[in-house]
Amino acid sequence: MTLGYAQLLDQAQARSALNLRVKTLLVESLGLDVRPEHIGDDQPLFGRGLELDSLDTLEIVVMFEEHLGVSISDDDRAAFGSVNRLVDFVVADLGEIPRVEALA
Amino acid sequence: MSTATLDARTPGDLGGLLDFEADDIRGLLPHRWPMLLVDRAYNVSPGRSGYGIKNVTINEPFFQGHYPDQSIMPGVFIVEAMAQLVAVVYASAWVLEARAASQRADGDGDGAGTAARVGYLGAIRQMKFSRLVVPGDQLTLHAELGKKFGALTPVNVQASVGKELVAKGSLTVTERSAGGGNGLQ
Repeated sequence: MTLGYAQLLDQAQARSALNLRVKTLLVESLGLDVRPEHIGDDQPLFGRGLELDSLDTLEIVVMFEEHLGVSISDDDRAAFGSVNRLVDFVVADLGEIPRVEALA
Repeated sequence: MSTATLDARTPGDLGGLLDFEADDIRGLLPHRWPMLLVDRAYNVSPGRSGYGIKNVTINEPFFQGHYPDQSIMPGVFIVEAMAQLVAVVYASAWVLEARAASQRADGDGDGAGTAARVGYLGAIRQMKFSRLVVPGDQLTLHAELGKKFGALTPVNVQASVGKELVAKGSLTVTERSAGGGNGLQ
């Protein structure tokens, strides 16, 4: 299936909006001292990146269940690489890019 | 009573509710006076949820200084009591698992050693205090464990005196691995 230009643009915008929504959720739920738009899509979440730790991981798990209806299990640790990885996981789990407007 | 209660149960039956008296709780937790803050646990669904009671008396050591002229149970002690109930909830599941395993292996393991596995408070994720706790109050604690992630478990907790809510919030607790450490990575 090939997507038309309008569909591609729509998908890209939905994905971009979702990435920003996830960044905002991260900043709010973890109390990060950084503006959401300043977090890079591929910036590492742990170590030198956003300097998150294992307790923050659990915070993200709980937050994703509450706000996105997605359950991350212990086997899905690879999803914590970056914002893009997290959003990839959400999209794969839901089978589509959720519309930010429809999220809690 | 817990030993009796646990013995009476079919090993591996995680569906039933258990009760624990103070002496049983000392067998599950490493805490001792003056820091053992759960007098009784009841309706415990191992690994899932449970209720606890903490009777608050003027003899509590912390009232000596908190405060000299007004006795108020410190909020962090209420949180500690909640966390200890959480430990009872998950340690009781370990005892049942150990019982079931030892029966399968035809051994005589008694599930001892849960105290050494009880972890630490990882985070007070959110907590709100809505009523003072003073001598004579009976704290009713409630804990509901969330889905475990690695060595970390999120848990929703609540404390009340009678029908009045005292504190409500959510914690993260850790489980110590067999190899030591504090459960954090």
